[in-house]
Amino acid sequence: MKKPDVKVVLLGDMNVGKTSLLHRYTERKFKDTISTVGGAFFLKQWGPYNISIWDTAGREQFHGLGSMYCRGASAVILTYDVTNWQSLAELEERFLSLTDTANHDCIYALVGNKADLTDLKAQLPLDLSGASPASLSGTGLHKQVPREEAMALYERILRYKGLDEKSSLPAEKMCFETSAKTGYNVDTLFETLFDLVLPSILRKRNENLVSPTVDLEEYREASARRGKTCC
Amino acid sequence: MSVKAFELVPAVERELLMGEKARINIECIECCGKHLYVGTNDCIIHHFLLEEVTSSKGKLSYLAQKLLHKYLGLKKPVAELRAASALERLIVLCDGVVFLVDMVTLETVPSAAGGGAKIRNVTGFCINENPVNGDPFCVEMGVLTSKRRTVQIYMIYEDRVQLVKEVSTPEQPCALSLDGYFLCLALATQYMILNYNTGSFQDLFPYNSEERRPIVKRIGREEFLLAAPGGLGMFANAEGVSQRAPVNWSERVICAAVCFPYVVALDESFITIHSMLDQQLKQTLSFRDGHILQDFEGKMILASTKAVYVLVPLPLERQIQDLLAGQRVEEALTLTEGAQRNIPKDRFQILHKRILQQVGFIQFGQLQFSEAREHFRKGQLDVRELISLYPLLLPASSSFTRCHPPLHEFADLNQLAQGDQEKVLHCKKFLIRYLEEVRSTEVVNGCREDVDTALLKLYAEQHHESLMELLTSDNSCLLADKLPAICCSSVHLLCLGKIENCQDLLLERATLHGKLEEHDKALQILVHELKDFQSAESFCLWASSCQDSTYRQKLFHLLLSVYLDGNHCGRSNAGGSGGEYDMAAVDLLNRHGEVFDAAQVLRILPESWSLQLLCPFLNRAVRASMHACRMSQIGLGLAHSENLQLLHDRLEERKKNIVVSEKKGCHLCHNTFSQPDVVCLPGPVPVHAHCVARRVRDSPTKRLLANSSNHT
Repeated sequence: MKKPDVKVVLLGDMNVGKTSLLHRYTERKFKDTISTVGGAFFLKQWGPYNISIWDTAGREQFHGLGSMYCRGASAVILTYDVTNWQSLAELEERFLSLTDTANHDCIYALVGNKADLTDLKAQLPLDLSGASPASLSGTGLHKQVPREEAMALYERILRYKGLDEKSSLPAEKMCFETSAKTGYNVDTLFETLFDLVLPSILRKRNENLVSPTVDLEEYREASARRGKTCC
Repeated sequence: MSVKAFELVPAVERELLMGEKARINIECIECCGKHLYVGTNDCIIHHFLLEEVTSSKGKLSYLAQKLLHKYLGLKKPVAELRAASALERLIVLCDGVVFLVDMVTLETVPSAAGGGAKIRNVTGFCINENPVNGDPFCVEMGVLTSKRRTVQIYMIYEDRVQLVKEVSTPEQPCALSLDGYFLCLALATQYMILNYNTGSFQDLFPYNSEERRPIVKRIGREEFLLAAPGGLGMFANAEGVSQRAPVNWSERVICAAVCFPYVVALDESFITIHSMLDQQLKQTLSFRDGHILQDFEGKMILASTKAVYVLVPLPLERQIQDLLAGQRVEEALTLTEGAQRNIPKDRFQILHKRILQQVGFIQFGQLQFSEAREHFRKGQLDVRELISLYPLLLPASSSFTRCHPPLHEFADLNQLAQGDQEKVLHCKKFLIRYLEEVRSTEVVNGCREDVDTALLKLYAEQHHESLMELLTSDNSCLLADKLPAICCSSVHLLCLGKIENCQDLLLERATLHGKLEEHDKALQILVHELKDFQSAESFCLWASSCQDSTYRQKLFHLLLSVYLDGNHCGRSNAGGSGGEYDMAAVDLLNRHGEVFDAAQVLRILPESWSLQLLCPFLNRAVRASMHACRMSQIGLGLAHSENLQLLHDRLEERKKNIVVSEKKGCHLCHNTFSQPDVVCLPGPVPVHAHCVARRVRDSPTKRLLANSSNHT
């Protein structure tokens, strides 16, 4: 089994679409999913790195397992449903405390899923400007969570974590609206996060280098470099 | 989706353990090599020798021999048994007291002889399988006592038992496991990991131990398996991190263990087996009164309240082949790749390659070409395995034979496509693309001629534009074969018009007619225009090479009639004499006598021919006819004797007695018989009538029948 270099965790209330988001990203498909039991994870090869993405169960029954899944996480995707205001509130009430076990430099993203139900532009997989709205079916449901609300929650999360707003990633960048059904913004979400956690991977690798295990390859390179500076 | 990963084999039957006594229950087991110890609720330790027996058919069974039993004199159940084999002692928990007994005599070891002080008020204990003390004659033990909120660590030496640590816990502990310095504990409302050396601890997750009995099972170095809310089996390492996704058990699981790559769990009625690789349920075995499941040095032992069983894993290769037979390629690959760390590297590589190739062929059969190509490439397939599926593509000179056991179940492309010409065409196009890809790589080292020739033939047949490109570039095509190499003449398919009137290309024209199944015209050219009787014969052999014997007979009769017609009509534009054709006809008959229908030949032969002339032909014809007659007589005789044998067997089976008693178990459900009416399966194997009924009802064929009857 490949050892993951870094961990990303999907959190959020039941039925917001965590499994579907992961499925859309890994399988490029949208299909009916059943309620996740316990949790599942997927190993993503990102360049030379292995990223494990944990899909957690939103059901109350499995709530207690959340802290364990978050332990040592480099990124947490807090997911809500844009058509359900309560799902955003739950993030703050129930799920935020689970992330206490994550790494101190953990990155947080707020993701409003099911955007295809409320936004015309999300009915196409990519933000295609110029596509005629007439060709799209009407938006049936009322959007309950404006993006500004999610951004405000993001700011509160930073405060909860005791992080400085100025030196942290801006809410503008870390609040996404996605659709697992159409694929809208899904790749952007995961790829943005992977790029952001890379420094965390590199740091972890460096920590491992000073571990008592001697890496002969690394040693040879280091001594070669030293050789140059000496002569 | 199920796979047969394990088999349940009886080890110690009820009779051997408790005979007719109804109130005796198994409380605990311990297995150490061939020695099996069973503790019962009447305060007795039973000692068995467990021999593994493999039948000539490869079926595994266990033979238990009772060595000894010993009453401990406390009138309480034997709650736990653990072997300290280096010390040749058994650690026993009975009536809240931990003490040592001799592994052979089962006598209590007196303190004076190193039996050590007894540990009192014990509610449970565990052995450290990853000990921190380097002394091989020291056993480390974690102990739960009735003393509130503490765990004690003891070292058991040959001559003393020593308390080395006492750690307090935030709540009352009720189950524990130990690995190195890490204590994994089930407390009243949660699980936690506690390092008893540093005192640091890590909460895992909440769990209500009053609702469900917790499970804390060490499954490997610093990794534990825990029963979680909602019937989950959760994994946790010493850092408090889950590195594997949980498995979904039933709510009532009482014991669990790992036999890589499977998690085995036991509840009161079933054994469930999940894969740690994809978390899916793979097998369910019915098991009544399930009580204990433990792994001892890789051996999985189960006990109901009355009997002991071994859960024997089936060889991994067989599991993988079973999955492939069910076309479950993803699971087969996952299982193969998951087994990497359990198989020596060189053996793994051979296995992995083979599985990749087999998967490739399954996908090829489903016309999933891009997936198939990827697996052929990764599995470094000998391309000729693929080429050989296409009839006549490999040159006659090729030394290739398919590998054994076969990589797939297809005889050839025609069988695979079952007459669907569109499928055949798709497959051919795929092969062209695949050969184009691999022909310049090292995969084709040693068979470059075969690959290029096959590609050339495919190009010619498909009128492919790359044909000339291949011929004019550096290639290893075999153009030397005369008639059988269809590719040479097929080249001219491209300029069909030109060839029709071209007198220099008679041979090619003949081949072309042959390819179009116009054998008549082809033979006319070969016989009358080219006068190449040798080639005419070769033509018949080639054109019928992939056909049945009647087809070949038809061609030879056709050639014979061309010879005879040529003679009688005197049709000879190149001055061939009638005698020449006669001789050719006689030669043909004498050389290939066995192909002809002799009766038909005799009817058309000229009256004037002498018997002597045809002597070799007639000899062969009579011989062949005799041979056929005798062969069928032999066949008849064999069938007759087989029939008699079966009749005999049937009578024998009918005469046999079957003993059914209350002590005997049904082979289907493992329960005993309570009524005299049983059903007897061949063997003879007595089983419950309702078990057979259920089995018949649940069997796939029956279900199929039921479905089909619904439709009618």
